[in-house]
Amino acid sequence: MAADAGGTGLEGQTRLSFVHRKLVDRGARFGLVNGGLIAVDFGDEAADEEIARQMGLADLSPLARTGFKGAGSVEWLASQGVAIGAESNRGYRQAGGEVALRLTPSEVLLVDSLLAEGRFIARLDGAWSWGEEKPRRPIGYPVPRADSHFWFALSGLHAVEMFSKICGVDLRAHRFAEGAIAQTSVARMSGIILRHDFAETPGFYLLADSASGDYLWECLLDAMMEFGGRPVGLTALQMLEGY
Amino acid sequence: MIAGINRLGTAYGRLIDRETSIAFTFEEREYSAFAGDCIAAALAAADQWVLSRSFKFRRPRGILTMAGQDSNTLVQVGSEPNVLADRRPVTPALAVSAQNYDISLAVDAGSAIGLFSRFLPVGFYYKAFYKYGSWKFWEPVIRNRAGLGRIGRDAPHGYFDKQYLFADVAIVGGGPAGLSAAIAAADSGAEVVLIEEWPILGGSLTYSRFERDGGRSVMGEELAAEVAQRANIRVMTDATCSGLFADNWLSVIKGRRLYKLRAKAVVVASGSHEQPAVFRNNDLPGIMNGTAAQRLIRLYGVRPGRKAVVLAANDDAYGVALDLLEVGTAVEAVADLRENPEETARLRAVRGRGVRILAGHAVVEAIPGAGKLAIIGATVARILAEGETEKAAATFECDLLCMSTGYGPAGALLHHAGASFGYDQAANMFQPTALPPHVFAAGSVNGTYRLDAVMIEGHRAGWAAALDAGFASESEPPPVTGDRGARGLTHGFPIFPHARGSDFVDFDEDLQVKDLVAGVAEGYDDIELLKRYSTVGMGPSQGRHSAVAAVRLLARETGFDLAGLSVTTQRPPTVPEKFGHLAGRIFEPERHTAMHHRHLELGAQMMLAGLWHRPAFYGAKADRELAIREEVLAVRNNVGLIDVSTLGGLDIRGPDAAEFVNRLYTSAYAKQPVGRSRYVLMCDQTGAIIDDGVACRLHEEHFYVTATTSGVDGVYRMMLQSNAQWRLDVDVANVTAAYAGVNLAGPGSRDVLAKLCHDVDLSAAAFPYMGTRLGTVAGIPARLLRVGFVGELGYEIHVPASQGEALWDALMEAGAEAGIRPFGVEAQRVLRLEKGHIIIGQDTDGLTHPHEAGMARAIAQNKPYFMGGRSIAIQAARPLTRQLVGFALADPEGPVPQECHLTIRGSDIVGRVTSAVRSPSLGKTIGLAYVAPDQAKLGSRFDIRIAGGAIVQAEVVPLPFYDPDNKRQEM
Repeated sequence: MAADAGGTGLEGQTRLSFVHRKLVDRGARFGLVNGGLIAVDFGDEAADEEIARQMGLADLSPLARTGFKGAGSVEWLASQGVAIGAESNRGYRQAGGEVALRLTPSEVLLVDSLLAEGRFIARLDGAWSWGEEKPRRPIGYPVPRADSHFWFALSGLHAVEMFSKICGVDLRAHRFAEGAIAQTSVARMSGIILRHDFAETPGFYLLADSASGDYLWECLLDAMMEFGGRPVGLTALQMLEGY
Repeated sequence: MIAGINRLGTAYGRLIDRETSIAFTFEEREYSAFAGDCIAAALAAADQWVLSRSFKFRRPRGILTMAGQDSNTLVQVGSEPNVLADRRPVTPALAVSAQNYDISLAVDAGSAIGLFSRFLPVGFYYKAFYKYGSWKFWEPVIRNRAGLGRIGRDAPHGYFDKQYLFADVAIVGGGPAGLSAAIAAADSGAEVVLIEEWPILGGSLTYSRFERDGGRSVMGEELAAEVAQRANIRVMTDATCSGLFADNWLSVIKGRRLYKLRAKAVVVASGSHEQPAVFRNNDLPGIMNGTAAQRLIRLYGVRPGRKAVVLAANDDAYGVALDLLEVGTAVEAVADLRENPEETARLRAVRGRGVRILAGHAVVEAIPGAGKLAIIGATVARILAEGETEKAAATFECDLLCMSTGYGPAGALLHHAGASFGYDQAANMFQPTALPPHVFAAGSVNGTYRLDAVMIEGHRAGWAAALDAGFASESEPPPVTGDRGARGLTHGFPIFPHARGSDFVDFDEDLQVKDLVAGVAEGYDDIELLKRYSTVGMGPSQGRHSAVAAVRLLARETGFDLAGLSVTTQRPPTVPEKFGHLAGRIFEPERHTAMHHRHLELGAQMMLAGLWHRPAFYGAKADRELAIREEVLAVRNNVGLIDVSTLGGLDIRGPDAAEFVNRLYTSAYAKQPVGRSRYVLMCDQTGAIIDDGVACRLHEEHFYVTATTSGVDGVYRMMLQSNAQWRLDVDVANVTAAYAGVNLAGPGSRDVLAKLCHDVDLSAAAFPYMGTRLGTVAGIPARLLRVGFVGELGYEIHVPASQGEALWDALMEAGAEAGIRPFGVEAQRVLRLEKGHIIIGQDTDGLTHPHEAGMARAIAQNKPYFMGGRSIAIQAARPLTRQLVGFALADPEGPVPQECHLTIRGSDIVGRVTSAVRSPSLGKTIGLAYVAPDQAKLGSRFDIRIAGGAIVQAEVVPLPFYDPDNKRQEM
């Protein structure tokens, strides 16, 4: 990970997280990833990791992600080497730690791994084209998931209980196992929840309307207050996952 | 500091911690409590028994149930009104005051109204205040007296929230039935949530008298320990289930949190409510249920009185008498309503202590002391017949009167679930007769009172509930056989009307026996009618202690069989819920564009467009008109920048993309070249205009279609719905949030853009008006559109949202030298009006069709089908009823009409103004308005009625008002 890039300045990067200023206000230290700034920690990596084990909120919005939908999209992705199972509302981990979230029989959202290399996503984005064949083979269409949705991670022993204050789906491990997806309402907003444990630590990815990132960030911090929850950076999650 | 002269020794007071004293005030006097005391207990310990005054007659009231089941104990705590003093724990520096009095709690001037009680019979307000003058006089008087407690307008907001919970089996009630049910359900493998109102488990086991173990029972503790051993039972104490809704959704209130609990099966083990008896002055302080006295003793270590009379109709009364004797209260007499009470061990023990037992006797009257602040005696007489006693009576001195004359099921939750209840003649009580699926009942709520039977019934209910939820256990537990113990507990008519009244059936509403009798006599002879006419059962106690008495009286007055009657429906909530509980955290979603913070930093006044925050204009509020004017002129004469990210964006892709767009919108798109934009107008099936925008063809099979900010979600749904029928080979994606967008507009816009965009030929020839290009701006991939909404040379630039702020910064920097000015929604509205462009929903209404809006040119002539096309054709064939025209005011300095000011002809309304502004670019007032078709000719004049009724004259002028040849936008 690149070192602290400092302050609010863009330093040549043009991509900003949807909650960038919230992170700055909390004292985040930033690193360069995927053409943008990501919060790597909040001043103390060890403290971050401990918080992440209990109740942490991380913004992963600058990390790479993409989506494809429409008839033929799943088959096309499979032909590109993406492992996707038959069930919808299920996330499928890839060899490199990326995840393919099958949202419907013909819609897939793909997110990068916490190593943040971005190659897997970039390769897929680069592989899609209109093509010259006539008639065109149905291979689905790209969806701009990197900008339509923010991406947060929730980690820790209290994550399920925190969610139960703002979401009506039973997310407990024995009812909502690794890889399960709920497309549901979170604090009165449509959101996608994926159970993504960080090794032994319970965890979730939450993706929702990027224009509402500020709002939902505050809702989540409010809900996790009673558990001593607070923001953590990418490094803490990488440490949990054992990278 | 008043300490507890009624406090008992350490053998009593399960809930209190004598090591910790807490100081608090009541009516500004200081009192001392122990940690764990409730307010009423601490006051009782200090011999303060009056807690409130009643609603109508302002009679002093005190403890009745000691369990929060009545409303006599409602007090004000700080700024919080209507707190149950017999449930609220004392906390340091608590400031408690009584409600509903003038002068003081002890000396209330308002209680003089009792003298006028004969003028306030049941339903008097239906028959009074008819003469206008009288209501004008009485309304302020009544408003002043009405209500309990005061709302503190400056009260600090509490932190309330909500939480979802899930269970296989939910059990309401932690007494012997509920505990047994929880153990059984958990042993079957179910996840159990056990909900208990009190801080400790055990229910009646925590305060009743038991002869096992020398008068104390540890059975409650044993059961609680078994529950604690089972990891799959989640115990919630200090939690109240306030409602049982469809599909076993339960609302549970604990502290400041509302839990929303979904359970597969529910066991209701909520117990029963002891019922008071009815006799003269039965409402005064010192008169309480037998179980209230036992709660005072066992839970709080408070002696309930010095001298007592016990009114009995069951064996529990003798347990109460023994408890009173044990703590040093003298029992002057037991008046037993039963002619021949069974000689139980308890009864014999009471007699053995020298207590006078008067079988077949009733309390006729309680004798009040000074100010009715306490009782000083009770008058007892022999029963002659139901509700009647002999004249000859004996009076016993007492300051405490305990009533143990019967119970009723605490069945509100079963009512919510749709259970039916029937009257058991042998037991003199209502009980459930039929339960809905997935709901089970056990214990006294189900009519089972004998402890052994209660435990078996609880066990069986838990087992059955677990089975219902899909968890089978090995063996079937035994059913309850033999005596369930319900008979001989409740008297059939513990009501002794008195000629001089004050024999209260409903304490909350101050209803006496004669009030209900009068109601029936007036013809309200059905319980539903009697309830609403008299208001019996409609107070905070919700009929817990009055509903059955009312039904008994109704049966007696009408001669109807009690078995055929029922109590009225109980509805949620079972206990008062605060507005805070229902509101929880405030969740009000907001949407911010990528440039949101830049707008704030530039001093924008923000406005709401749906959930989006948008800049209305930049500058101080006081400078609104000036700021808007300057922004308009900056765009007309120089270059401006506006954030248009909120506009809808839809990617339509696929082999049938052009056909899809063709069917949805009125114009022709099949042959639209790649790299061109076209105006889109969407109409519904009736031909009414519902949205507009532009369609940009980015590829043969790809249209990027824009929509209005507030319309895009509806347009997207419409598209999906339409294609579910049409089955065209097309994919629709709502990418509104994915793209941030700006409109860089003004004669200087090309030069500014040229500094940042090097891969698109921006010359007029290469990139004409209504062209669409893909390129990069400041290194950011962009969709570029030349559109004409504001009527100047301009470029809409759409980029990925995460790069929107970077784009804004780059454009502001590139335009700095030229004096670029950010402009907001208000300026944009003026600019588009100067060009005569309509705003959907402002210049159109729910019926406006294209011909009346002057948009016939947007309708393709040769398409076989488009949405609304048939209706539009029909409308075109009919004469118009109104027409939208552009107008200018004759007097350029005159007042500016507002939207919806009427256009009138003589005394007829012919239409309305939809938009109007004093145009900075033209120096005169212009607008759009609906007029009659024969007024729509250029040059005709029509009248507008503005605020205050004045008439201004307007003239129809050609559109667009500004730059009629469109030269500026096509540069």
